[in-house]
Amino acid sequence: MTRAGDLCLSCAGARVTLATSSDDRHPADNIIDGNPDTFWTTTGMYPQEFIISLNGIQKINKIILQSSLVRSVRIESSTSKEPVNFELRLERDLENTEGHLQYEEFTLPGVQVAHMRFVILSGFDHFVSVHRVSAEGDK
Amino acid sequence: MVKLSAKCIVAGDTTVGKSTLVQLFRSDGSHFPKNYSMTTSMEVSVKNVQIPDTGDSVELFLCDSPGKAIFYEVTEKLWDQPGALCLVFDVTNESSFSSCAKWLQRVRAKTFSPQLPGVLVGNKTDMAGRRAVERGQAEEWAASNGLEYFETSAKELENFEQPFQALAKAFHHLYQERVENFRSLM
Ligand SMILES: Nc1nc2c(ncn2[C@@H]2O[C@H](COP(=O)(O)OP(=O)(O)OP(=O)(O)O)[C@@H](O)[C@H]2O)c(=O)[nH]1
Ligand SMILES: [Mg+2]
Repeated sequence: MTRAGDLCLSCAGARVTLATSSDDRHPADNIIDGNPDTFWTTTGMYPQEFIISLNGIQKINKIILQSSLVRSVRIESSTSKEPVNFELRLERDLENTEGHLQYEEFTLPGVQVAHMRFVILSGFDHFVSVHRVSAEGDK
Repeated sequence: MVKLSAKCIVAGDTTVGKSTLVQLFRSDGSHFPKNYSMTTSMEVSVKNVQIPDTGDSVELFLCDSPGKAIFYEVTEKLWDQPGALCLVFDVTNESSFSSCAKWLQRVRAKTFSPQLPGVLVGNKTDMAGRRAVERGQAEEWAASNGLEYFETSAKELENFEQPFQALAKAFHHLYQERVENFRSLM
């Protein structure tokens, strides 16, 4: 079993196929650029969501979300060709971390995914930021 | 260039002029409802507000809420995670002013955010002879509760845009502050 590394990178063929907020200065592509210094911001109101489409169907083991001010999040996944037919994977409340990023690990052993949808249900403030999502798996 | 969205709760006692102000603002002053029609459930109007010198804008989702107590229980459920508050009273009606503390507390209880941009609006200034709440008194209460104070006469189309523009500006300012903060996170 060889580790395939991070599947949620634009250089690994991942794409953000939907984001409900957009500020040109902080686009959603920042989530998959591999750099936690750049980020996507939401621009007001809840819920907010984004979808990351991987390079085909992949088997993953865990997802890591680096963000700030996210209070509750729901993760769904789909194996369809298009980003549709999502199935609920999990929902979780996060802790508010002041002055540094939230670093949240979600274990999803051996789940097949082509698309991952992240729904931010609520925040600790009017706006949240998402700096990085990574998904590790084995091929 | 960014377009922000703010869920703006418009609250206050019945007949103070909430629906009138919202209708006026939404229609750029062209629609003043002549007859009173009681709001019985929350009505949402959307209005885009440009932020001067930025190219940015804030889309206000104005949630015109009923003032009558019997509708409160249902309305309150629709108020979750508000982004801004427009609190209205009638300057000729003392008790509508005293109620503001209660409305403020109710809306603030619905947010997790430490800051909620808010304005206090004293409406119906055209009825000067019947004024029951002095400007100074309202200003003082507003300031001590972190609200910006405005006086309007929806009837005379006076000042009706200012409170909403101030809210949009405050919300935009908060966004810039937060983004600055996100930049410094590690
Ligand atoms: N003189 C005067 N009358 C006003 C003004 N603004 C509103 N009114 C009148 O006050 C009455 C109530 O106005 P609404 O806007 O319906 O009041 P509301 O706060 O929405 O009331 P609810 O829906 O019951 O909560 C109407 O008859 C309006 O025409 C104003 O600035 N001056
Ligand atoms: Mg009304």
